[in-house]
Amino acid sequence: MNRNKRALFTLLGLAVLVTSCKKYLDVNPDNRTQINSVEKVAQLVASAYPDRDYLTFTETASDNAEDKGPGIGDVNDLVTKYYTWQDVVGDETNSAEAYWNACYAAIASANQALKSIEEGDFGDDVLPYKGEALVARAYAHHMLAIFFSKAYNIGGDNSSPGIPYVTEPETVLLAKYTRGTVASTYDNIEKDLEEGMKLLSSSAYKVPKYHFTLAAAHAFASRFYLFKGEWQKVIDNANATVPNGDFAGNIRPISTTFKNMSIAEFNAGFSKSDVKATLLLCNAYSGYQRLYGTPRYGYGETLKDMFNEPNVTGKRLENKVLNYGPPNYTTYKWKEYFYYATESTGFPYLPFILFTTDETLMNRAEAYVELGKQDLALKDINTFYSVRVQAFNPAVDGVTPQKIMAFYSISDPKEGLIKTILEAKKAEFLQEGIRWMDLVRRHLPVVKNLYSPTGEESTIELGPDDPRRVFQIPQTAKLAGLELNPR
Amino acid sequence: MLRLWQIFKKKYKIIGVCLGATLFFFVLPINKRLFVLTNKCNMEKKLTAWVKRAWLIVGFFLITLLASAQQYGAITGTVNNQRGEPLINITVTLKNVTEGTNTQHLTDSVGVFRIEKLNPNDTYSLTAEAIGYSPKTISGYKIKSGKNTNIIITLTEDHNVLTDIVITGYQDVQKKLFTGSSSTLSVDQVERAGLPDITKMLEGQFAGVSLQNVSGTFGAAPKLRIRGATSLSGDNKPLWVIDGIIVEDVVNISNEALSTGDLNTLLGSSVAGVNPSDIQDITILRDAAATALYGARAMNGVVVITTKKGMVTAKPRINYTGNFSTYIKPNYDNYDIMTSSDQMAVLMEVMNKGGYQMPGLINGDGGGVLYKMYQQIALYDSSSGQFGLRNDAATRNAFLNRYANANTDWFDILFKNSLIQEHNISVSSGTENYQTYVSTSYLKDDGMTLGNSVERFTGNFRNNFKIGKKLKGEILSTGSMRRQRAPGTENRVSEPVYGEYLRGFDINPYNFVLNTSRMITPYDQDGNLEYFRQNYAPFNIINELNTNYTQLNVLDFKVQGQLRYTIIPGLNYTLNGAYRFVKSESQTSILENSNKVMSYRAAKDANSIGNNENLYDDPDFPNELPVVVLPEGGFYNTETDNLKYYYFRQDLQYDKVFHNDHTISLYGSMEARSTDREHEHFDGIGYQYENGGLVNSNHLYFKRGQEEGKPYFGMQPGKDRFLAYAATGTYAYKEKYVVKGTVRYDGSNKMGHSTTARWLPTWNFSGRWNVDKENFWPENKVITSMILRGSYGLTANIGDATNSSAVYYNQISRRQYINDQETLTYISDLENSQLTWEKSKDLDIGMDLTMLDNRLNFTVDYYRKNIFDLLGTIQTSGIGGQFEKVGNYGRMSGRGIEFTLGGTAVKTRDFSWTPRFNMAINHNEITVLESNPSVWKGVSAEGGAVLHYPQRAIFSVKYAGLDHYFGYPLFYALDENNELTPNVNLQGDEVGFLKYEGPADPTLTGGFWNQFTYKHFQISGLIKFSAGNVLRLSPAFKSGYGDYNAMSRDVINRWTMPGDEKYTSVPAFIDGVSALQIIDATGSQVSAVYPYNLYNYSDERVVSGDYIKLSNVTFSYIFPERFCEVFKLTNAALSVVANNIWTIYSDKRLNGQDPEFFASGGVALPSSKQVTLSLKLGF
Repeated sequence: MNRNKRALFTLLGLAVLVTSCKKYLDVNPDNRTQINSVEKVAQLVASAYPDRDYLTFTETASDNAEDKGPGIGDVNDLVTKYYTWQDVVGDETNSAEAYWNACYAAIASANQALKSIEEGDFGDDVLPYKGEALVARAYAHHMLAIFFSKAYNIGGDNSSPGIPYVTEPETVLLAKYTRGTVASTYDNIEKDLEEGMKLLSSSAYKVPKYHFTLAAAHAFASRFYLFKGEWQKVIDNANATVPNGDFAGNIRPISTTFKNMSIAEFNAGFSKSDVKATLLLCNAYSGYQRLYGTPRYGYGETLKDMFNEPNVTGKRLENKVLNYGPPNYTTYKWKEYFYYATESTGFPYLPFILFTTDETLMNRAEAYVELGKQDLALKDINTFYSVRVQAFNPAVDGVTPQKIMAFYSISDPKEGLIKTILEAKKAEFLQEGIRWMDLVRRHLPVVKNLYSPTGEESTIELGPDDPRRVFQIPQTAKLAGLELNPR
Repeated sequence: MLRLWQIFKKKYKIIGVCLGATLFFFVLPINKRLFVLTNKCNMEKKLTAWVKRAWLIVGFFLITLLASAQQYGAITGTVNNQRGEPLINITVTLKNVTEGTNTQHLTDSVGVFRIEKLNPNDTYSLTAEAIGYSPKTISGYKIKSGKNTNIIITLTEDHNVLTDIVITGYQDVQKKLFTGSSSTLSVDQVERAGLPDITKMLEGQFAGVSLQNVSGTFGAAPKLRIRGATSLSGDNKPLWVIDGIIVEDVVNISNEALSTGDLNTLLGSSVAGVNPSDIQDITILRDAAATALYGARAMNGVVVITTKKGMVTAKPRINYTGNFSTYIKPNYDNYDIMTSSDQMAVLMEVMNKGGYQMPGLINGDGGGVLYKMYQQIALYDSSSGQFGLRNDAATRNAFLNRYANANTDWFDILFKNSLIQEHNISVSSGTENYQTYVSTSYLKDDGMTLGNSVERFTGNFRNNFKIGKKLKGEILSTGSMRRQRAPGTENRVSEPVYGEYLRGFDINPYNFVLNTSRMITPYDQDGNLEYFRQNYAPFNIINELNTNYTQLNVLDFKVQGQLRYTIIPGLNYTLNGAYRFVKSESQTSILENSNKVMSYRAAKDANSIGNNENLYDDPDFPNELPVVVLPEGGFYNTETDNLKYYYFRQDLQYDKVFHNDHTISLYGSMEARSTDREHEHFDGIGYQYENGGLVNSNHLYFKRGQEEGKPYFGMQPGKDRFLAYAATGTYAYKEKYVVKGTVRYDGSNKMGHSTTARWLPTWNFSGRWNVDKENFWPENKVITSMILRGSYGLTANIGDATNSSAVYYNQISRRQYINDQETLTYISDLENSQLTWEKSKDLDIGMDLTMLDNRLNFTVDYYRKNIFDLLGTIQTSGIGGQFEKVGNYGRMSGRGIEFTLGGTAVKTRDFSWTPRFNMAINHNEITVLESNPSVWKGVSAEGGAVLHYPQRAIFSVKYAGLDHYFGYPLFYALDENNELTPNVNLQGDEVGFLKYEGPADPTLTGGFWNQFTYKHFQISGLIKFSAGNVLRLSPAFKSGYGDYNAMSRDVINRWTMPGDEKYTSVPAFIDGVSALQIIDATGSQVSAVYPYNLYNYSDERVVSGDYIKLSNVTFSYIFPERFCEVFKLTNAALSVVANNIWTIYSDKRLNGQDPEFFASGGVALPSSKQVTLSLKLGF
């Protein structure tokens, strides 16, 4: 009996010790962080921006690139394929697929932040970041919609496949998604954008130029409604991007400050956050500046004439025309920032410009044209050129309907104005990726030259309804149950 | 008459005993008297004591009288082992040959037995038997009447007699109840005198254990695997257990990362602080049944180390071991390196073709003899109007002549025959209730090369005690201290674009010798150090090893304790606890006159300023030239790795035999482990070694660091928490059949916050059939015993993934300007609610035979592993926000067979031969995997994980010959067209078009150990072999050879003119003009760097990894007892040991390089050849 008792007590004692200490295994294995405060939410939303650029595939696929000829410049598979509108498979740096991944990574950050806000008890202080997360989520989806689904058909059918609109964090290894339609995608973007804009606060950020301030959000809205063809909203949002409607004092000072810079200063200064015209920047992992400095298919001898020849104003643009030895031209807008991950290796980044007042000004001009307010449109165009043409004299150098008709040989004033606006943007935003957006939005054909290996030049064209205008979504999207874009 | 004589003798004896006893009792109080003087009031007690003593004396007299009144004789004997240590509880059987009767006796706690009342007329024989020893019989023994005969029986250890206990770390299981696959060897069989790391003891000795010496530097672990790899991404390392406590690594380095040569590999060995002399034996646990109690940690097998304990001895046993070793320097005969005159001839040829032009060389980042010549030519002394060297052919030739004839023997200059001394002293003593083992050792190794040295102290203190009959306990504390010096090194990084591994400022002496031309001279004509140019600054290897070095200090302290309480007979409760603390700090000193510091200051000419990456281009001043950020002082960088480890375990064990035939053993255990790691680094900038340690750092250094994302200090904590519950039950029937089952439940915090993923149950069952115990088994001498074993169970390992809930980390945004930077939180991994452990279902079938009258043992095991839920990378749609995810979907199968044959083949009075042969074959294949590694990983020396291939498979770019016109190498493109191309994209993942060469790990491993003993001489040798894998030769080919780098002798047979491609596969030297002609299929020009680097990764540069090595030869002389007695020694032995001396067979194309070693630079050095004199003394 005594023995049994002793054994029993021991077992009981053991049972007490054995009772699992739950907290014991709750210790974090490393210095990972938890989203448990407003600051942490803010930090998480700060990574809700795509950390890639779209320069390589948009610029190369657009008519901002030309074939310089066999044996000239560097040949790179990625550039060759995008120039001739072939699909690139794989997520190589600077590819469209890499950008797709970056947008969805940004969306995931936004979604995790929104979920944390929903689950946590952070009070009203968190609302500006909720707003930022919503706008950032809308932005990333819009960029995906521009590149990976058909352009929004203003007043027409938008039932073609959109892009998956993700609003919840993914929790399983391979989740399923659906693409929805272009219409549903745009509806979702609009909903997030409008809801988010109301909550934004410009005083919420330590480094405002890298966040959706109100001005940046309005710039996004003006671009978004331009795609949707809601012209008055374009104008209203564009107006909100500069203080007191002063575009002239807030757009890029090309013919003054930038002109007076040395080459090195310009290279460093163009994308610096102190440029007033720049509304939103992101740090984008990119090899654009190093790998595609002198591509065979790029900014060459013909394109440089945009700057070297007089334009619709009758004068030349002041932009710097630099080269690595003709015909390898560069705008020299991007200065690579090399982030060191180890002693001697790291990753190249660009401070990449997402929105400028120059763009919102031209968005407004285009909306004025569409609303029939041609005078106001012309005024905006002249504001735009006033800081780009040397010693701009409105009386002599101002763009007039006559000049437009003469320069572009277009008799329809509306068509002429649109052409003027798009051409101005083409030159201004060369090597900034905006041109492709205009091409898809306006359903413009893309016509480019191509040399055969033996040197015969021919022309290739991408028609307004060519399926290749939509970049291919990753092959791996099939795992999620998506259909690829038709070819 | 006889009787009278006996009485006379008896009286003598009585007198003698009386005298002795009286003396004893009178001498004893002398000590006490001193005490009494200081304590006078104790007089009364003292008197009482004297009275008592007097009574005792009387009593003693009486007893002695009575005892000696008998007519019989007696034997008093001691049973010792070869080392003179007494053996306790040994059965001594006395056979009365005359009468044919047997009596059995046991030795006491000091190894003494006494047999009395023996009839002097009879003949006796004595047999002493002990487990682990050969029995010894002394026959024809006569007893003298009335006399006590003294006898010493020395037993010799017999390693082929199976011990009856298997130590699993958790439990000591009786061998007859053990159902798993394991092998145990005692230290004297595996001892490697002169090699201070105990991992070397595993080399070639255990079937199924593959050990690859990827680096011979002290502290670096070998690549160790038990039954092959089990994971695609995990560390694949077996678990180490010392005295029942799991050993945690200070830094967790995967098996593959062991060969990087990075500084942290010096902390790779979990057991570098263990003194080999403290080891008692080593057990390897292989299958699911053997490792059952380790559950979810045991997928890679377990190494169990048992250290020595104190013994019950009459007087303390003191043992000294001294090892004195020296290195054997390598020499050029074994290496494929051109002599200086041959290389100068090659240089001249290239120069005549327009290579090595003055402007290019004089401004480059590095340069050798030609750089030096041009520099002299350019040197103009304005006062004398003379140039440093006249620029005419004769003067130039005279200048170069010295270097052409130099033929520097870098091995002789950088390698040393230093003395390695190792001293170890241990003391063992104890009583029935308390035993102590104390040891300390000191190691001093002056290093195989300049810039390397090690010192290590260890201490070990182990106490075992017993309180009453029910409570036993143990306290064990061990500590070690290490001071090691190694060349300064940066971590290696992989550069897939060109296909290279890079390491900045690598000054590894071995790599230096392999890569540096013999034209380069360490000293100039005046005997001063001679400098060449590297990294835009002067460089001399001897200076560099003196001015750029790392001092590693490791302090490792562990205390562990055990309490065992017998609750009721058969039911035992055990409590184990341990605490371990390790602090390791590596201090890298880079002095002012080192190349690295001078490179930071190299801003003299425009070219250096433009290209030298150590200068700083301040973004705030875009128009300015780059500036120096280290104007004064050098670097003092520290890296710290700390470990804090707690271990707690309680077990309950119940053993009972019912009705003689039914044995039951039940065991339950609960375990908790907690490991905290810390890794810190600190970059000390501008430490002025020349000015007494002044620090005057330049603020620009920090500004740059902030802008480039290089913080000057950091700390990363790591916290592992682990809980486990296990239960096992064994049932045996009549010693014939044993069945056993185990369940275990493990929990870990490693996978992150999720209450479901962190827990995993594992199980296994096993059985054993002792066939020879069956009635039908014919008693025979050919196969004495036969055992069949089988086990099946689930084992597991926690993988690398930690995202059972979403993982967020912080980051400083990657933006150039400090005012643009902010703290971000980013999602490193999305939640994977399906995350689980990596698992394997293991089957093992084994057979143990003893043959030829117990002289030979044969063990064979066949196993299959069905490994599933392996973590693998998978490319997703990216829509969730993470394009590449890691999930449990991979599968791999493993199978193998292993056998060991050993025993005492020959044994006579003076001669014995003990051979032991083991061999294992292991194959594994990845059966499910979605992602392919990049081409670069596949062709690298470590190999990549590819579906339907072994865990790590080495591939090659397919070499297609040399270009007809220019002699550069061509390859087959990585697509179905098989076009010839000078370039293949290494960053792609089209591994399928590469040529499969073979696995990176050997598929067949084994060893053959032999020991011969003749009288006092003993010789043993270990041959180790390995086969089935392929090796990639170190990348030797470059598009351009400087006037500084070594060249392969193969270069003599290179392509020199069109048509040569038919006879040679050695690419041409590509001159500047020809380099422009390298074009690919699209017609674009390809940089010459690509084809020449690819050549290194082509099938031309792969060799077989098969080898046979003579790892160890030990020749010992054991001094005879007569000799020992003279010096009051209990034992003494002297050995000459040669380690690593001869590679009997390896692929010829390795040109003498060690097939186990990756010459990766940094701190990695090949295993040294060394000769050791080892002295062992016992007092």
